Amino acid sequence: MLAAATLAAAASLLLAWRGLRGESSRGRRAALLSLRAVAALAALFLLAEPALRIVQTARVQSRVAVLVDRSRSMNFPVEPGGETRAQAGARFLGASRAGLDALAADAAVEGWGFARDAWPADLASLSRPEPGTGGATDILGALRGAAGGSGAPGRRLAGVLLVSDGADNGALASGLAGKARADLLAVGVPVNVVAVGTDAPRDLAVERVAVDDFAFVRSTITVEATLRARGFGRESVKVVLRREGQVVAQATLKLEPGKEVYQVPLSFAPDTTGTFVLTVATPVLPGEAVAENNSRSFVLRVIRDRVRVLLVAGRPSWDERFLRGLLKQDPNVDLVSFFILRTAGDNPGPQDQLSLIPFPVAEIFGEQLRTFDAVIFLDFAFQPYRSLDIERFLPNLREYVRGGGAFAMVGGDQSFAQGHYAGTPIADILAVNPAEGLGETSEPFRPRLTAEGRRHPVTSLVPGEAANEAAWSALPQLPGLNFTAPLGAAEGARVLLEAPSLLVDGRPAPVVAVREVGAGRSLAVTTDASWTWGFVAAGDGQGGRAHQRFWNGALRWLVRDPSLTPLQIQPDRPAVEPGDPVGFSVAVRGPDYGPAPGATVVGELFADDGRVVGRAEARAASDGSARLEFPAPAPGAYRVQASANVPGTPPERAAAAVSVRSSGAEDSDAAPRPELLRQVAEATGGTFSTLPRSGLPELKLREPEVVEVGRKQDVPLWDRWWYLALLAGALSGEWVLRRRLGHW
Amino acid sequence: MRRRTFLQTAALGAASLALPRAARGMGEASRIAIGQIEHGGRWNPRPSALRRLSWELAQRTSIDASGDGVPVRLSGPAVHTHPFLYLAGDGAMPPLPDADLGVLRRHLQYGGFLLVDAADGSDGSGFDTSVRRELQRLLPASPVTRIPREHVLYKSFYLLDHQGGRVLVHPWLDGQFVNGRLAVVYSQNDLGGAWARGQLGDWEYDCSPGGEPQRESAFRLGVNLAMYALCTDYKDDAVHLPFILRRRS
Repeated sequence: MLAAATLAAAASLLLAWRGLRGESSRGRRAALLSLRAVAALAALFLLAEPALRIVQTARVQSRVAVLVDRSRSMNFPVEPGGETRAQAGARFLGASRAGLDALAADAAVEGWGFARDAWPADLASLSRPEPGTGGATDILGALRGAAGGSGAPGRRLAGVLLVSDGADNGALASGLAGKARADLLAVGVPVNVVAVGTDAPRDLAVERVAVDDFAFVRSTITVEATLRARGFGRESVKVVLRREGQVVAQATLKLEPGKEVYQVPLSFAPDTTGTFVLTVATPVLPGEAVAENNSRSFVLRVIRDRVRVLLVAGRPSWDERFLRGLLKQDPNVDLVSFFILRTAGDNPGPQDQLSLIPFPVAEIFGEQLRTFDAVIFLDFAFQPYRSLDIERFLPNLREYVRGGGAFAMVGGDQSFAQGHYAGTPIADILAVNPAEGLGETSEPFRPRLTAEGRRHPVTSLVPGEAANEAAWSALPQLPGLNFTAPLGAAEGARVLLEAPSLLVDGRPAPVVAVREVGAGRSLAVTTDASWTWGFVAAGDGQGGRAHQRFWNGALRWLVRDPSLTPLQIQPDRPAVEPGDPVGFSVAVRGPDYGPAPGATVVGELFADDGRVVGRAEARAASDGSARLEFPAPAPGAYRVQASANVPGTPPERAAAAVSVRSSGAEDSDAAPRPELLRQVAEATGGTFSTLPRSGLPELKLREPEVVEVGRKQDVPLWDRWWYLALLAGALSGEWVLRRRLGHW
Repeated sequence: MRRRTFLQTAALGAASLALPRAARGMGEASRIAIGQIEHGGRWNPRPSALRRLSWELAQRTSIDASGDGVPVRLSGPAVHTHPFLYLAGDGAMPPLPDADLGVLRRHLQYGGFLLVDAADGSDGSGFDTSVRRELQRLLPASPVTRIPREHVLYKSFYLLDHQGGRVLVHPWLDGQFVNGRLAVVYSQNDLGGAWARGQLGDWEYDCSPGGEPQRESAFRLGVNLAMYALCTDYKDDAVHLPFILRRRS
């Protein structure tokens, strides 16, 4: 409607001007036109009905958050031997109270402490120099927390004063780039930074250790340690790799000024299987800010890649041929054989036309003995080799087995009593008693499983007791046997297979017997015809698998194949944070290798130096599983030894390892990051300053929000009397003038 | 006086019974007995050969070999008690029944060893054609090929360069491999003829053209064959290599 009125006004003005074309006097024309214009304008004004709106507003008091870093990195000194960063920050805040109070007029000053997350705190407590306790620093998270705010709803955060060392290990850990930057800008608040601590303290740290989760025994593995050194000149530092207190590898690192990060490779070849905690450590140099980050522990599982077997045969025979064939074909076995092809009494001709090599007694029974997982004597007597000093090595073999090795003696007319092993160190590890003079027999017989043999993995040809007995009964008769006397359970021995028709001292002669010797195991097979269980059985139409199954099972049992151990223990996590409890899950199996419910499991936690630092007990559930929990130990490397008591069997043992981290990320890197804080300030439009300084720096804050308060008031302008008077006056004036001038 | 001496001798005799006797193996089954296959042709042309070979084995090596070869019928039950089988012949041999071949094939596949010896020194006729036909039927997937010079058979005990038997038809041996292992060895040079030794201690046959050195190489080959049957590729193990290389050069 206003548009139409404007058109009408314009039209009337135009009409008046056209009407006045005939008027010669310019003055009169101008007067009439101006009167018309005034009238038109006044009419428009009245039609438009303008009014004045009066609104009452107020400026809302915004918030300013003061964020003070309360993480552990603030405990480092600003300068060596000086006050800590936390103390410097608190002192600054105390000195700035006056400035902050002045701000309070425009903005409410809120105090926040932050580390891993942010929490409101009052300024007085923030001004107190308390040591930091937080385990991580997350600046972005703290900013978001403060912006979200716990203040009165509707109060916007106008700015932030951040007092921190910048050692962020949260979202900004790798710097202000990409997503981190976008997230920071999304908070939308200028961050004014006061950086505490600008010099990196003097510190040598093992920052990271890179190694595979597991290694093969006797294979060299390399541990890549990353070391960080700040504030050192040219110095030599010894870096060692320790396994449970013993040094297994070391290297010397030459520090150079200006270079911070060093890679140190440490190589070693583990010689035993198991789970171990290893530690990379450097000595603590004088003046170092942090001593705890000079070592780092990790857990390494050492497994066997192939079972290494030494087979020594006193003469070639079918038993030797089929056992060698079986072991050679097994991809899990690394076989080293020595067969005596010629004895002293044999006369084959000139030596240089023979392919024979000297029997390396000193090598295989000396140094190299430890490298074998199992040693098998097959129809081998030691006496013919006395000239090679073999008797000196027999105690070696005994200690090898007691220390965890495996030994098997297979029959023949040079084994057991015929080999005159009675009274030798070998007799201490044999699974039977090779009493002198017992002799041998060539009377065919059929062996029979004993009660223990029915369930034992060594004599398990097929699963299931009844099926197993049937399988053994179906095998051909054995043609001969070395007579030996059985040993009792007191010596840790068990007879698994016996000859009921052949008696020694009134008891059936053992055919297959096993024995636990110290940490190792021993097997005795008193016949030289176990090969008939394969080749001859095949001729009888049964398939030749019994020989292979027997020796496979025997070898796995001898070397303690993990799947056969009755007790297994695993840590929940191989490395735990300091302060977290240490837990292990345990699986217990009974003598028949099924779960053993109700068995008691006792675990002891050993520290690096052998001290017992914890003890826990548990009962196995119906599926044989149990849990052992230890309260949080101090940082370091720990070994747990578990033993389970299943009624009817000797106690089984198992071990595992766990490491408790000595320093989280917060403590290992002591360096402040002022440049990160500078970037944060610049990106968000705040100021950056460092300590020491006197008083509050200039703070950039967002403009306070202006908010409507109270009622609106509309004041109309057009209904004043003098607008109407003006319109009337202009219209009437024009009319009078026109009449006067004779236009109408 | 006479009574005293009598009692003394009796006491000594009794005492000697208590002396430990040199152990001779746990019965016959422990000793290495070579089984000789009975077939339709002349299957035992050299009756004393295996006995003499066993004697040589006992003399020269630590192998505990039993005396004569044991006649073995492929149709009988005892085939598998002899992992080492010997097949000799003089003149043509009728085809073996399929069942017998099946037994022999299974024997070889389970790890057995077969030595075939042509007593008539034939080449392209007589025993040679019969045996090649039978070996082809026995292991159709493994052709009869020449055993390479570097094969471990030639260094399983002796380092052998040349070989022969009673005759020297070919200075090499043929064989068939099963799963990479030499399961059948075929000699056309009448090894049995070189080994055969009469009751009076004289060699039954002369070796030509090499004479006594050729006989010696025949025995060495026999020892190597037995060693190979018992130790398979033992001499190929890495630990032996430096020694063998040194000796060979």
